[in-house]
Amino acid sequence: MPEATTQTITSVGIDIGTTTTQLVISRLTIENTASGTFVPRVEITDKEVIHRSKIYFTPLLDRDLINAVAVSKIVKTEYLEAGLTPERIDTGAVIITGETSKKENAKAIIEALAGYAGDFVVATAGANLEGIFAGKGSGASAFSAQRHQVVINIDVGGGTSNFAMFHEGKAVESTCLNVGGHLIEFEPHGDRIIYISEPAKIALHSSGQKLQVGERLTLPQLRPVVKAMAECIVEVLKTTRLSELTRELLMTPTLRLEFIIRKVMISGGVADYVYASQGPATMSEVTAFGDFGPLLGWELKNCLDQAGFVLEKPSETVRATVIGTGTQSVNLSGSTIHLQEKTLPLRNVMVISPFPITIPDSIQGIAAVIKKEMQRLQVDHTEGSVALAMIGPRTMSFANINILGQGILSGMEDYLSDNKPLILVIEADCGKVLGQCMNANANRPIEMVCIDQLEVEDCDYIDIGKPLMGGRVVPVVLKTLVFNR
Amino acid sequence: MEVLNNELEKVILQSVLEELAKKGLLPTQSKGHVMSAAMMHTSLNSDNSSEEMVTFPSLDEMQIANPFNADAVRAMKKSTPARIGIGRAGARPKTISWLRFLADHAVAQDAVFLDVSDEFLKQNKLMSVQSAVTTKDEFLTRPDLGRRLSAEAVITISEQCEKNIQVQILVVDGLSSSAIEANIPDLLPALMQGLKSAGIKVGAPFFVKYGRVWVQDHVAALVNSEVIVSLIGERPGLGTAESLSAYMIYRPNEKTVEADRTVISNIHKGGIPPAEAGAHLAEVVQQILAAKASGVKFNQQK
Repeated sequence: MPEATTQTITSVGIDIGTTTTQLVISRLTIENTASGTFVPRVEITDKEVIHRSKIYFTPLLDRDLINAVAVSKIVKTEYLEAGLTPERIDTGAVIITGETSKKENAKAIIEALAGYAGDFVVATAGANLEGIFAGKGSGASAFSAQRHQVVINIDVGGGTSNFAMFHEGKAVESTCLNVGGHLIEFEPHGDRIIYISEPAKIALHSSGQKLQVGERLTLPQLRPVVKAMAECIVEVLKTTRLSELTRELLMTPTLRLEFIIRKVMISGGVADYVYASQGPATMSEVTAFGDFGPLLGWELKNCLDQAGFVLEKPSETVRATVIGTGTQSVNLSGSTIHLQEKTLPLRNVMVISPFPITIPDSIQGIAAVIKKEMQRLQVDHTEGSVALAMIGPRTMSFANINILGQGILSGMEDYLSDNKPLILVIEADCGKVLGQCMNANANRPIEMVCIDQLEVEDCDYIDIGKPLMGGRVVPVVLKTLVFNR
Repeated sequence: MEVLNNELEKVILQSVLEELAKKGLLPTQSKGHVMSAAMMHTSLNSDNSSEEMVTFPSLDEMQIANPFNADAVRAMKKSTPARIGIGRAGARPKTISWLRFLADHAVAQDAVFLDVSDEFLKQNKLMSVQSAVTTKDEFLTRPDLGRRLSAEAVITISEQCEKNIQVQILVVDGLSSSAIEANIPDLLPALMQGLKSAGIKVGAPFFVKYGRVWVQDHVAALVNSEVIVSLIGERPGLGTAESLSAYMIYRPNEKTVEADRTVISNIHKGGIPPAEAGAHLAEVVQQILAAKASGVKFNQQK
């Protein structure tokens, strides 16, 4: 049984946004950090970005359709540049963000890409997840843990602004606002409008302006609507009692503001203009990229200053989301787990949480709740696999763990009769013993994956990769496939 | 007799204080205060009827009066059981910190000086034998005696234990009886279940009173097991008195040294939870059986 003390895995992150498409390849180092006499504790100890792609404009067939072929060509080109083949990619994620994720074909494209880009690259999307990835990639998460200050990261892209608040390194709140630098398109370096998106129309309407495609615009004409958008962003940080415009532009429930924000970080394509020493002075400067991003950045900086927020510079700006996606999408399970290697990898496993509040104290009680939940979701005889997620047994006593194990076996009887693997994800550190209990109590050998020390709350699907470090841990990617609206 | 003693004390104290005052080490006006304080009749042994349980505030409570960054203190406190972020009263610890320190010290001492109860052994169906040590004091002062069995124990084990088995498990009090009572009820059934599922022949576990780690070598010689596992209470600290270690060795003999033992430590509710540790140990024992080696030799094979 060879058991290396360190192992590296190669992870890819692909971010397909409203305006830009990017890719990064990183190398993650996994290590057993526990000393010799302790139970192993395997952790990701280093994350190194080994390849950054060029920043491409997202290829579109028309305004609503991503050019999947062109995207996959980008990926192919960048792999070649990095000297990698899809087979050498161990894990990672493709994230479709901003406006593009709303387009109905996004899901199909994401799946096509996932198949192309290695064995374990997954499709993922969702406004909240995107904001959290951006905040991890920008360095906001690390900053909050190092300085012990609550930081909010706002990733302002072409179509959306994704907020994620971090406390001691952990994402505590997130939201998404339909404000971005690309909502009105111009001729590059020009002043003629070539497209006005729906959210921009809402903002224009609220500021009482009427603009049409084809019109030419002066800077004083453009500034009020951009300023109104910037104010919406800042309003979300200030209060939970929002103006009508902000409410209309919000894509998810707003921030609860349960923490006092000590620092604000801005990432995304607009960020560089927030941290610039002076704002754009002419229309040509504003529309350098065929949109109003530079002006939005400058106005956002002024609004934040006026409201008294302290800006902190992120370590990554325009690449924050893609770096976060590539380096932060992988989680490691606990280091004492129970599984059969041949069962893995498993993709698109649906997550069910049968015990949202408490766990019944008897085998029968546990079995009944699980049966009811499985029937309610009608997943007993569906094609896909299901994972049962829970916080843990009632107490960490062997008796309670054994009861839980027997209850699960009994509740999952129908599901297991189809010879599907039993998959359990537990937060408490008891994966190995729970797996052992179920193994001992089952009347026949069953395929089982029982992993622990993972929180999968608020997530719909997970991918479980092949075990690492001689079977000690498995990589798990949490996915939210619920597309915005 | 007591009166006489008091009179004598008074005379001694007075002469000491006068001597101090002469040398200018004690202001004359304080002499009276010191004298009356010294002669107060308060018993050092508190009255049992007025003994009340003291409840300490939770460990993560902020005890620094005006923290510059309270979040930072809280995060640091969370990362260690050490006594940090406890504030101060002048140059001294606050009363509550000092009391907690004394209480934790008392818990640690109890863990060493108390015995594993007979009731506990009965509940967990553990036969009890004793090392060559006869008293707690001897146990603490003569480690060599704790490393072998009493003559009586040798007979009991020879007569009652199953021989020529794959695994024998011992529960040993070591330096913390509290660790045994806190962890064994969850650890032992998990370990037994894991070994049984793997089809391994295990002898009935039993308890060794006043035992040290090496006592496992003596037992192994008697039961002729391939692997012997000692679940032993660790020397308690001020953080926890409930930490348990598992020492495992493959076929010990007279040439056995410390490096031949495999150890998993820090088993308690704040470390690796006992039930999960049981399942992990079951796997390690299987690996030791397969490797026919333990300790450093085992690690080198991995």
